[in-house]
Amino acid sequence: MTISVDFTQPLTNDYVKEETFFQSLPLLEIKNLSISSLGENKKEDIKLVKNINFTIKSGEMLGIVGESGSGKSLTACALVGLLPKSLKVTEGQIKLHGRELLNLSEKEMRRLRGNEIAYIFQNYQGSFTPFIKIGNQLIEALRSHRKISKLDAKKKVLIWLERVKLPANQVFTSYPYQLSGGQLQRAALAAALMFQPFLIVADEPTTALDVLTSENILDLLVELQKEYNCAVLLISHNLNHVLKRTDSIAVMYGGQIVERGLTNEIRKNPIHPYTKLLLQARPVLSRVVPEKLVVIPGEPGLVAEQGCAFALRCPKSFKKCSILPKMQSVGDSQWVACHAADLEADYTNASS
Amino acid sequence: MRFVYAFFIKTYLTVMKMKNWPPTALLGLILLITIVLITAIGPLLIPNDPYMANMAERLSSPSLTYPFGTDHMGRCIFSRIVIGSQATLGITVLVITTVILIGIPIGLVSGYIGGRVDSIVMRLADGLIALPEFILAIAIAGFLGPSLTNLMISVVLVKWISYTRVVRGIVLSEREKEYVLAARVGGCTTWRIITRHLLPQIISPVLVLATLDVGKIILIISSLSYLGLGAQPPAPEWGAMLSDGRPYFQTFPELMIYPGMAIFIVVLSCNLIGEGLRDKLGEKSI
Amino acid sequence: MLQVEKVSKSYRSTSVLTEVTFQMEQGESLGLIGESGSGKSTMAKLIVGLEHLDGGQITLNGLDFQQLRGAELRKARRHVQVVFQDPWASLNPKLPVWKSIIEPLENYPDVVPSFLKGVRNDKRKMAEILLEKVGLDRDFLERYPHQLSGGQRQRVGIARGIGLQPNLLICDEPTSSLDVSIQAQILNLLKELKKEFNMSYLFISHDMASVQYMCDRIAVFKQGVLVDLFLSKDLFSDTRHPYTKMLVQATVER
Repeated sequence: MTISVDFTQPLTNDYVKEETFFQSLPLLEIKNLSISSLGENKKEDIKLVKNINFTIKSGEMLGIVGESGSGKSLTACALVGLLPKSLKVTEGQIKLHGRELLNLSEKEMRRLRGNEIAYIFQNYQGSFTPFIKIGNQLIEALRSHRKISKLDAKKKVLIWLERVKLPANQVFTSYPYQLSGGQLQRAALAAALMFQPFLIVADEPTTALDVLTSENILDLLVELQKEYNCAVLLISHNLNHVLKRTDSIAVMYGGQIVERGLTNEIRKNPIHPYTKLLLQARPVLSRVVPEKLVVIPGEPGLVAEQGCAFALRCPKSFKKCSILPKMQSVGDSQWVACHAADLEADYTNASS
Repeated sequence: MRFVYAFFIKTYLTVMKMKNWPPTALLGLILLITIVLITAIGPLLIPNDPYMANMAERLSSPSLTYPFGTDHMGRCIFSRIVIGSQATLGITVLVITTVILIGIPIGLVSGYIGGRVDSIVMRLADGLIALPEFILAIAIAGFLGPSLTNLMISVVLVKWISYTRVVRGIVLSEREKEYVLAARVGGCTTWRIITRHLLPQIISPVLVLATLDVGKIILIISSLSYLGLGAQPPAPEWGAMLSDGRPYFQTFPELMIYPGMAIFIVVLSCNLIGEGLRDKLGEKSI
Repeated sequence: MLQVEKVSKSYRSTSVLTEVTFQMEQGESLGLIGESGSGKSTMAKLIVGLEHLDGGQITLNGLDFQQLRGAELRKARRHVQVVFQDPWASLNPKLPVWKSIIEPLENYPDVVPSFLKGVRNDKRKMAEILLEKVGLDRDFLERYPHQLSGGQRQRVGIARGIGLQPNLLICDEPTSSLDVSIQAQILNLLKELKKEFNMSYLFISHDMASVQYMCDRIAVFKQGVLVDLFLSKDLFSDTRHPYTKMLVQATVER
């Protein structure tokens, strides 16, 4: 495959992409972010995401795991300014390269989406208009963000379709319905990556796909991410995918991050009861099949109004859990918000 | 008959369960109830015999004896409008009921069982869709000859197919849903699936369609009567009254304004209710 | 108990299943695994009789479904029940929970399952017992599906499935649209019920791990062909079909 240098470099960009400069700083910083829904009478607003914090560095892949209603998708939507009208960011900051995104106008945000932050949807059919050929759609997208001639755009699109391991010429002239789900999601990946964004937000990118197809697509995502050193925010309810590929993880429950840290640490040593149960309460392929799976009691919608959101389902909850636990660092690269865990930590410290 | 019974009971329950009506629909409801009441107790309200011609007082202005004045034959317009509502509303209700009773079963059978019934129904529907409703109704009524019964028959013949189409469409999409499959696996007979699982799903759309159609049907009936294909003189009917007033349009517009207003108010109230129902029941597609 | 012999099925010109053959014993659970479009769900529909076969034979307890008609077929069908994939679509939104649960029992008034002896004429009591079996209390009887969570709906679906005490319960991806924390609850419940009623399960899934957890044997489908059929304990054996190995590879954690 031949790639001319011109096409792999960003053509124009307001912000110089000097990776060395940003290396030490986090690429994306989310501070104390809260999202609320405005009730019909605009009086009672329900906090759906509660004061969450996390950062992503260039080249890092962060996974957010959680059940439906944990607020993981809302966080992603807020990030790219695509929250539905009934929801609002009530508190906090979202900073990309130190620039506050929440104050940007709709126009600036639109420039930013695609160009600097790319978004990959769960619903791959939704990412393309059904009656326009894939190639033309990609060219159009490219030309709406960059000043580039039609011919150059076509070349670039073809290169990127090849990049995502699709039969480029054939896909270029196909309509979306002629492609399989996997192929479409690859094309969506090409559409996202051809702007060489700093950050890719992938919201359940493979949930609608088959096991083998999702594996391939996620592998491809990792491969391209390494190559271009961009950051990826991978949102998934599939623990397997997240554990396998991400560098770090944030576990959400009921709008709060209950634990975050390096993936390896969390896999080996989960501290929050919810993380522990999540890791245990799923069938895992192994030579010895358990007679019974560990069960998380209760239903996903069961969220405590006050204090720790997981308290109502937590086997270890006690009186103190009605007060919101603070994020405490455990070791160098793991943070957890749990009173029970604090207690245990104190106990082991005292005894040793 | 079980089918008819089930349908009306379920319709009643659907309507009763609704709360927080939008004010416009409420206004429509109040208007319609008033009109229905007037229709019901009409004979007690009227000051004069609607059939009694009095050539001495023809085309007189409103007075205490004749609240809306008199027409070209000296008959009391007010009395004629009140009594005429019986014909107009009565025919409409009858037509709508007949249309529903024909349209729903055919739609259910054609959608769920398919096969030959379905292809016949669909060919017929295609044919009817190609012709404008109103023209077709005129043609049929003209062919059958002018009378109220023939008028009703022609409107029913024109209208039933749209109900069948709506019902068939819903059934086609519902029959593949897992709860219908589950019912089949659970041993439900076709009859039971249709009455227990499919019928409740079509009540709200049909209800909306029917209320929105009431206005249209009144207009068709009035128009056909206006053309002389419906109610025959001297029977009072709003459309026929309009037609009677036509020669005096320039000098005595009241002759047409009063029946016109009556038609307008009924159609308006039905549409207000229909739109309210549509929003309430979430039937955006109609 | 169940015999599937050289079953083929095609829609228009595309063939969905080609010459699939397998058997199942009473009390055994067989997992069908494959990608979407591999024909595993069509297999289930053929067994319940929601679709007609193009070729081959399916017999349950010695009865050939294809040759039965009318009342006979209805009678034979009650031995197979299904738990559907999507708990949001598999319950009639306009019926309260208890009516959905006892519907199969209403349809087969002669059937008296062992656990419903003595209350067979009391519909509510039957629904209550069935709810209890799936771990829901009687407060749920009067609720409508939209008032339940996904996990609770799936429990209701299971209660409906076991009501007739079928020989074979087909579970068509019963956990794939549920949250992770609920999947374990449902899988455990299914496993317990299987033991209690000595039912056979045909467990359809795309997740190798759940199939391994639930089943004695596993059948792997690829594009309508049964490529591999083996005991669950031989899953990691070297003699597995390459496709099976790929699926295993994709599911194990590094």
